[in-house]
Amino acid sequence: MSMQTFKEWFFTTDHKRIGIMYLIGSMTAFVVAGMMALLIRLEQSQLGPTITDNPNEYNQWLYFHGAAMVLAFLIPGLTGFFANYFLPLMIGAQDVAFPRINAFSIWLFYGAIILALLSFVIPDPPDIMWTGYPPYSITTMGNTAYYVFTLHLLGFSSVLGAVNFLVTVIYMRAPGIGWNQLNIFTWTTVAAFVLQLVFIPVLASAVTMLLFDKYLGTNFFNPEAGGDVLLYQNLFWFYSHPAVYVIFLPAVGILFEIFTTMCKNRVFNYKACVYGGIWGIVGISGFVWVHHLYVSGMPDWLRIGQMVTTLLISVPVGLMVMSMWGTLYKAAITFNTGMLYAISCLFLVLSGGLTGIPLALTAITVHLSETSFVHAHFHFIMAMFSAFAMFGGIYYWFPKMFGRYADGKWATTGFILNIVGVHVTFVPLFIIGAQGMPRRYWDYQMFPQFEPYHQVATLGAFMVAAGMSVTILNWIICAFKGKVAPENPWKSCSLEWTHAPNCPQAGNFPNPPTVTADWSPYGYADREANLKATTDPGFPGAAKPAE
Amino acid sequence: MSAESSHAHEHHWEWSQAPFWVVAGVFFLVPLTFAAYFQYQNPLLAAIFAGLGTPMLLAGIAMWVNEGLTVKPLIADVAGIGLPIFIISEIFIFLSFFVAYWMMRLGADVWPPEGTPEFPVTLPLIMTVVLLSSSVTIHIAEEKYAHNDHGGFVKWLIFTMLLGLMFISMTFYEYNHLFHEEFYPDTNAFGTIFFSLTGFHASHVIGGLGIFVCVLIPALRGLTNKTFITCASIYWHFVDVVWFFVVSQIYFW
Ligand code: HEM
Ligand SMILES: [Cu+2]
Repeated sequence: MSMQTFKEWFFTTDHKRIGIMYLIGSMTAFVVAGMMALLIRLEQSQLGPTITDNPNEYNQWLYFHGAAMVLAFLIPGLTGFFANYFLPLMIGAQDVAFPRINAFSIWLFYGAIILALLSFVIPDPPDIMWTGYPPYSITTMGNTAYYVFTLHLLGFSSVLGAVNFLVTVIYMRAPGIGWNQLNIFTWTTVAAFVLQLVFIPVLASAVTMLLFDKYLGTNFFNPEAGGDVLLYQNLFWFYSHPAVYVIFLPAVGILFEIFTTMCKNRVFNYKACVYGGIWGIVGISGFVWVHHLYVSGMPDWLRIGQMVTTLLISVPVGLMVMSMWGTLYKAAITFNTGMLYAISCLFLVLSGGLTGIPLALTAITVHLSETSFVHAHFHFIMAMFSAFAMFGGIYYWFPKMFGRYADGKWATTGFILNIVGVHVTFVPLFIIGAQGMPRRYWDYQMFPQFEPYHQVATLGAFMVAAGMSVTILNWIICAFKGKVAPENPWKSCSLEWTHAPNCPQAGNFPNPPTVTADWSPYGYADREANLKATTDPGFPGAAKPAE
Repeated sequence: MSAESSHAHEHHWEWSQAPFWVVAGVFFLVPLTFAAYFQYQNPLLAAIFAGLGTPMLLAGIAMWVNEGLTVKPLIADVAGIGLPIFIISEIFIFLSFFVAYWMMRLGADVWPPEGTPEFPVTLPLIMTVVLLSSSVTIHIAEEKYAHNDHGGFVKWLIFTMLLGLMFISMTFYEYNHLFHEEFYPDTNAFGTIFFSLTGFHASHVIGGLGIFVCVLIPALRGLTNKTFITCASIYWHFVDVVWFFVVSQIYFW
């Protein structure tokens, strides 16, 4: 690699290269955090000390696993990698509005990853879970400062990303693209960034108060001097519940792109999905955080009120899910690996969503809260639904990024191991959770009857580990050696396929597109007319989808 | 620094070193230095980290400002929209601290809690006047710039910065005074909220001054950019508006 090529990669401000850097960073976080999950599962596979007799060590694994999976894998994967690489292409833009700020965001993200990884080598690493609740986080010997600064770096990165992408979508859409002609993925990304913009500062403030309390002796969370411990939990979940949608929404957006293309169909109920579903979620998301504090204590009016709003969330979610099924209805479906992941998500969202309802009900949740039922619930939504949507998206856009397919028997093998493995892992956790298995415990001496379930779960975790190893290796190999894909191999109508060549170069489009009011990214009903509603793509093989 | 595209149809892979160095600087200067000092109680290590971070940060900022003033952006003038969007985020940071304040205050039996000294009334009023005038002077500077009066622009920008400096000095003066009365961030709930809110606001004033320095130094060499100036000024007005909330909630409630 010449010096020039090196600089053009390392210091790049191009959205596609930054996207790839996000992909590498977030997959690294996923792999390391996944190893932590294996350690956690090994420790739980037998009663008593199994691979460590030091509960603190177990805490550090849990800390790293949770924090890295949510904050360094899912959020940067979705709003960093997918948004960066594909959103500008979908709206026909040459880059984002502020390319340097985009590079700034990626470096902040890497700074956070390095800081998080440092916790493996420093003395007294953070041991406060990804939630960082005081008073423990203030009284521990562990390095709470690194936790706080990791969140600061990631938060700043995301807020700047939000500014960047909101301005990009508002001002840099190709001439002619109206609001109702945006891809669902674009909408979900915009919504996710609106959430980041408004809610991250609250998290950043909460952890800053933590920092001040621990190191400067302030009294934010110190009841003896007039502070309030619950304030932290309130501020934390005021961000972290919406953060679930920062993950959920773009994942749904990816699914829509896969479904429409593979079904050659329009989005069923586009407007209900966008304005009712996506923006409905954004609207309610700030009024449900209390469901994470049910057992912490609060006045009944707040508890009941937020139970109602929490249940109301199922309305917008339902609208989006209905649009997905409606898009599949009576369509001629093409099956490939991307589609397999996408279809599995339809079921994962059901199991994950329905198990959220008992957790939302104030009476039942007193029993389920802080048990492994909660773990199983959010893993179905986050670790499985959202992560699988990402994996599906990677298969779907693989030809766009690398000009090659990643489908094939290894891809399918990986998928089967993954989907079976996650169920073998988490279904047992549902069962013993409902029977009272506490979450986050290093050991469960008082519940010897749960041991077999833990063993099954551990087995499942290793299946996933095998599945992900196959999957990731397959990606790496296919990026260089996979079967070469033609332009627009899935015959999509969306601009990133019709107007940008595979492996888009700097500037993205040989001829930056413009569209008329008749064009739609989902114009499958009359593909010819839809293509005529855009300007010449300017590269061979694009206008006519390859056969 | 970065490769610049001259023709619409001929593109290079764009790159810039500036963001990397800014982040590298921040990384050493904030998390590493802070943790070395407070968590590991190793001032020497902290000094080393700070010593490494500062030049990186300054170099990064210098590169960035230079590129901002010399490289043509992909799309013009959107920074004037981006900054207000960013400010939404800032508002929520301040809001969180205010919420903390309201929760503590409304939950307290007596307010201000024991150990709080008598607070001055004139000083915050003077500070308000100073900050308010600086909003006026930066507006005049912008007007001068719009009328191509470069000298006038620089002059009024410097006035603004002097007013900002005055404001900061008064903050330090007051802190010093309160420390003498044994009032610290850890004294009681009010100490916590007083020092964090005013300190947080003051850090924004200092940030604003930093931005002005970045505008001023190239301006002395004749390099300016309208969007950059507009952004600096919007930010300053924002800091000014926040002060009204701080001063009314902290001193006059
Ligand atoms: C891929 C396989 C995965 C396995 C086998 C796995 C396993 C586990 C286990 C065993 C626990 C601790 C359970 C306990 O305390 O009893 C846990 C906690 C957790 N996992 Fe996963 N996990 C996986 C993926 C993910 C993903 C993709 C996410 C991203 C959202 C995630 C987020 C979390 C969170 C937030 C916690 C809670 C951590 C805490 O309570 O501090 N996990 N996981
Ligand atoms: Cu929630």
